[in-house]
Amino acid sequence: MTEPLLKVRGLCKHFASAGQTVNVLSGLELTLAPGESLALMGRSGSGKSTLLNILCGLERPDAGSVGIAGEHFAADSNANGQNQQRWAMLRRQRIGVVFQEANLMPALSLLDNVRLRARLAGQRDKHCGDWLTRLGIGELAQRYPDQVSGGQRQRAALAMVFAMRPSLILADEPTGSLDARTALEVADELFHQQAASGCALILATHDSALAARCGQRLDLAQLGA
Amino acid sequence: MFLLPASQFLNLFSALFSHYRRHPLQLLALALMIMLSTMLWTGVNYLTTQARASLGQSEQAVAARSQLERVDGQALTVADFVTLRRAGLCVMPWLEVERPGQAGRLVGIDPLAAGCFAQTAPAVGNNSPEPEESPATSKKPEPAWAPALNGEPFVDISEAAALAQNVAPRNVSLSLLIVPPEPASALPADYRMKGFSLGPDTGELGDSFLLNLDALGFLVLLITALLLRSVYQLGMAQRRDSFALLHRFGVIPSAINRVLLVEILLLALLSVVPGVWLGRLLAGTVSGGFGQALDSLFDTPLYAGQSENWLTPTVTMMAIVLVVCLAQNVRALLLRMAAGLPFALPAKLLTGFGLRPWPWLALPLAAVGLAMALLAQSLPLVFFAVALVFAATGIAAPFAIAALSASLARKTREPLARWRHTELGVMARRLALPLVALQFALAMVLAVQALVTVFEATFDEWLGQRLAADYFIEVPAGASANAAAQWLAAQPELAQRGDWHQVVRGVAQVPSADSQAKTVDLFALGPVSPLLTMWSLQAAGDQPWQGFAAGEGVMVNEQLARRYPLAVGDSLALTLADTRLELPVLAIYADYGRPAGEVLINLDLLPAGYVPEFESFSISPGASDIELITDDLQRLWQVDSVRVRDNKRIRELADAVFDQTFLLTRAMTFVTLVLAAVALLIMGWVFFSTRAWYFRLLQVWGLTRRQVLAQLGRLALTLTLSITLLALPLGVWLTWVLVHRINPLAFGWSLPMAIYPGFWLQLGVVSVLVGLSITLLMRSQLGGSGPKPVSAASLQGDER
Amino acid sequence: MIKIQNGPIDFFQKAATLILLSVSVLLAGCSQEQDPGGFAGLAQAVGSGQSEAFLQPGPGDRLRFPDDWGQHPQHRIEWWYLTANLKTADGEPVGVQWTQFRQAIESRTAATMPPVAEQWPLQAAWMAHAAVSLEGEHRFAEKFARGDIGQAGAVASPLDVWLDDWELTQQPDGALRLQVNTPEWGYDLLLRIQGEPVAHGNQGFSAKSASGEGSMYFSLVDIAISGELTRKGETQTVTGRGWFDREWSSQFLKTGQQGWDWFALHLDSGDKVMAFQLRQQDGGFLSGTWIPESGEPVALSPEALSLTPLGFSGATPNLWRLQIPQYQVDVNVAAPAGSYMNNGLYPYWESPVNVSGSHSGEGYMELTGYRGSP
Repeated sequence: MTEPLLKVRGLCKHFASAGQTVNVLSGLELTLAPGESLALMGRSGSGKSTLLNILCGLERPDAGSVGIAGEHFAADSNANGQNQQRWAMLRRQRIGVVFQEANLMPALSLLDNVRLRARLAGQRDKHCGDWLTRLGIGELAQRYPDQVSGGQRQRAALAMVFAMRPSLILADEPTGSLDARTALEVADELFHQQAASGCALILATHDSALAARCGQRLDLAQLGA
Repeated sequence: MFLLPASQFLNLFSALFSHYRRHPLQLLALALMIMLSTMLWTGVNYLTTQARASLGQSEQAVAARSQLERVDGQALTVADFVTLRRAGLCVMPWLEVERPGQAGRLVGIDPLAAGCFAQTAPAVGNNSPEPEESPATSKKPEPAWAPALNGEPFVDISEAAALAQNVAPRNVSLSLLIVPPEPASALPADYRMKGFSLGPDTGELGDSFLLNLDALGFLVLLITALLLRSVYQLGMAQRRDSFALLHRFGVIPSAINRVLLVEILLLALLSVVPGVWLGRLLAGTVSGGFGQALDSLFDTPLYAGQSENWLTPTVTMMAIVLVVCLAQNVRALLLRMAAGLPFALPAKLLTGFGLRPWPWLALPLAAVGLAMALLAQSLPLVFFAVALVFAATGIAAPFAIAALSASLARKTREPLARWRHTELGVMARRLALPLVALQFALAMVLAVQALVTVFEATFDEWLGQRLAADYFIEVPAGASANAAAQWLAAQPELAQRGDWHQVVRGVAQVPSADSQAKTVDLFALGPVSPLLTMWSLQAAGDQPWQGFAAGEGVMVNEQLARRYPLAVGDSLALTLADTRLELPVLAIYADYGRPAGEVLINLDLLPAGYVPEFESFSISPGASDIELITDDLQRLWQVDSVRVRDNKRIRELADAVFDQTFLLTRAMTFVTLVLAAVALLIMGWVFFSTRAWYFRLLQVWGLTRRQVLAQLGRLALTLTLSITLLALPLGVWLTWVLVHRINPLAFGWSLPMAIYPGFWLQLGVVSVLVGLSITLLMRSQLGGSGPKPVSAASLQGDER
Repeated sequence: MIKIQNGPIDFFQKAATLILLSVSVLLAGCSQEQDPGGFAGLAQAVGSGQSEAFLQPGPGDRLRFPDDWGQHPQHRIEWWYLTANLKTADGEPVGVQWTQFRQAIESRTAATMPPVAEQWPLQAAWMAHAAVSLEGEHRFAEKFARGDIGQAGAVASPLDVWLDDWELTQQPDGALRLQVNTPEWGYDLLLRIQGEPVAHGNQGFSAKSASGEGSMYFSLVDIAISGELTRKGETQTVTGRGWFDREWSSQFLKTGQQGWDWFALHLDSGDKVMAFQLRQQDGGFLSGTWIPESGEPVALSPEALSLTPLGFSGATPNLWRLQIPQYQVDVNVAAPAGSYMNNGLYPYWESPVNVSGSHSGEGYMELTGYRGSP
């Protein structure tokens, strides 16, 4: 086992809801090495998205620490502003995020979306078209998001993520709004490219078949309070 | 109700309205916009109406009055009043007492005698054929002057007479105002009529000002409509999902439309009424000072109180709201009708020949409008041209910004810049209506500012010319003006330190094209004093006043020069009481709106037999005492009193009223601008909220919150600044049209046009503020947990 | 008396109020329940020191001729009042009214010299009303003037009462000439007086309430009238008979009195009747004078007559029943169709009437203080 890419220790997060405190995460421990994949399972509201948000720095945990790609973040750290900067740099260059939908800027063509994402990550423009081709939508490069199907949009979203050459991909139900067949195709692409690029993957999903394709599996419903 | 069972209607209504339950802010924004727009338009409309009524009354009360004088030149007394009243004439006494020191002038009148001054039926009630007089309709014949007796200087004439006993006789004068009798022969031979005026007659300058106020009111209405439409459209766009859902549940679109109609009716009613109330409150607050200024200028309350008119603004605004909000349905209806026609043109026109909506129309509209504004010879056509150009600009501006941003996006290789440019294009199209409204408001504010400044300067010069001398002394009937002139010339003090000239007014004949002599006003002056040489001349030869003093030529006013046409150096043939003169035109002087042609000649050129209509002296006494001068003139003329007018005081009062009026106009345009800015702010905010996900996406992609905000700020500022830039040419053009086209067509004279770039800068600051405010409002939305992405279903074409 | 301190509107309101007050007093009618302040104000004015200088008529007062034809500067209010039932050459009935009122603002004894005209004094305000009723049409005009400058006034002998160019003046032969002109209509009538003045009430003192307030009041009840009526640019000859009232007082209406109904009737039997009632919530005060064709006039006590409204034009009763059992009078008094409101500063009803029932005849009726007039 290589040096872990992700190391989560004692992670806690709670929400106040209807006057009650709901602990969605309590003392979560997690380690992930490069090239590994992890399926996050759990009912809606079990904290899958929250965990993903914490893992890319968009939300702050109440307690615990996250170590990622050599950077270490502690919940009790006072250096919030600095942390924000470090998280932003990580998201820019090392962490790719794929949502269920609306991953693209509607005013830009698919290619321009990929280029924007790649450029932010400090990558060259010239491979962007290749990524679209690799994901099977090379001929749609000049189309706008509203001019292609949902499956094609998700392929473009994957192209964007891989174009940035990430160390870690956080995917939140990336096939959730697609029909079964398209979902399967998109999932195939995801796993295929992940394996090829050697990055780590955390995949939040309801779909146990999809989860089964990941190396590890974490059921938040069992962890939750 | 509307062919739906009531219960079903209510169900549908609550289903549709549930959107607003979930988004109360949207409902609030719509209601607020309707209310604010109503308030604005009601306020502007109310003020315009009031200004019109006030100026109208001022002309009636001040200009269109007649007074009597005795043919034998003696001062009028109470006995004259009684004689004339008992002869059946409608006469009213007017006793002016100039109190010493700060107390000022006081006017005593007899309200009991004023009844016959009622305009329509002088104190005559006619209640014959209609049988049932309800208490509300039984009208009392109110004396016309009754409402006018409302200002500090008016007291009962008995009190004025009592005060007059403690004042030097020359400071007391009794005038008898008269309603000209019909036939004129009913006037006893011992008396004759002459004009009675209390202050400067604003005449056509005032009319012109009002016309421009009207144009302003119309523009405000237009802007209001645009703002409403934009807010409503936004709401509809956000509810498209629920409509689609209802449609899937089997509700037919026409049923939804009916419910929406009821909804907008209710909302309009609920918002229009408080809007009207607020508008009146606003107008009332600003207009108090306006009325006071008018009152103090003319010494008569000219500020017309308005009857409680709620209906006009309410109905107008309801109509605007309905038309604006239901325009889509109207268009759909028209399309259905057009589809039934055997030829396709109307339908094609309505759909813009299938092109992207409307931009193709802008060019021909603008071309026609500009050409028409330049060439049209009638006022309605020019107004129509203005409408065309505004329409063209309104259509073109958002697309111009969008096109510009698209071209910029194409040129740049930097993906983030490209994103920003394309995003700007989306905004320009999505915010088209509020943007256009802001553009119109900016253009209007700019034009009104320039116009008001020009008017101010013109009024100022006009007053300067009319009131150059400190005092103005009327020559009484039968008195010799020449004797007085000789006496004045012989005063060493006056010659050294003061200025004076004699004024004779009358008529002269000039030959005209159709060989019939035309009558023009004659204005004879002499000797030439510095009071004259300070006049502003529009065109002049070398040393015109020297030539004038030597009797080598005449001067004509702008109006005469324009009509004739005459230029400096042309020769003008004049007939004065059978004497024919042929003299070159030495100069053309500005007339500031005086519609009559006028010739200015040296007094020495007047033939002996010339009968003047009016004679007076303009005197700046310098170190001399005007009271001593008037005393001496009184002795010289052997009259009881001499009418002296203190021009400085009139000048002060006139300045006060114009300042107030202009301040008011500026305030109104400023409120319009603020409303347009607030509308853009609301719209911008709502719009950015719908785009919040994408700004969040930028954050996910590794931009810090600060960087995202910077992008957002750049976008918002580019948008507001570019619309301001686009408003500038429109505003300048509008100024030009108002000054050089509308005014000459309406009144036959033109104002100078000026441009005030300093003011453009101020507008720029306003647009920057709007942009910054949008950014600040968005700041809160970018914080905290992320916004939900928009659903895929709404990912339609207008997202980009 | 009038202190002008708050500018002319204030002044004008005061002037208008004065005129209003004068009319309301003169016509003894003002439905003041809606506005108790206004009426209470009146009552206070009576009680205050200001009215002390005014003379109050009382039962002991006597008429003096010819002085009483002229003005009474020490009384607050007075009027000269002509109503006439005329006919055109075609037999079309014509009603004519002319009234001139004086309202004192300051009291002055008859011996005191009036103030000089040059001071535009305002010790008294004058008001003149004129109306013509013909062919269902009622036309009305009014004029105002201040006293003591010559614009309006009244002189006893030879009689001259004028305001502007409206004038009632005695001719050398003793007849009276009445001239009224408005832009739309006018009349010029010659009045030949027959018989002596009739003193109402107690030798001219006419009580206006049970507690003794009242006015001095006499009438000329038999006047032959001929003259010209100008209307719509056409002049017609008119003839008929008239009734002339002179009345003066310093008394304002008592609290609770709402208005009044006044009748002057020429019965075809040759007898004549004057009757009035001052309305108040608990009934009212009735009075009148029976003037037989021959013999002395008889004052009618409140119990001797009754007045009952039978029909209405809007809120105004235009059909009345008058009963005087003592003289077997039981008649209906009816105004012709139409509205006869004098819509001046103070609206009231003034119409010719027809008499039917136990007696027939004609006359005039004046009604004040009904809803529809202040």
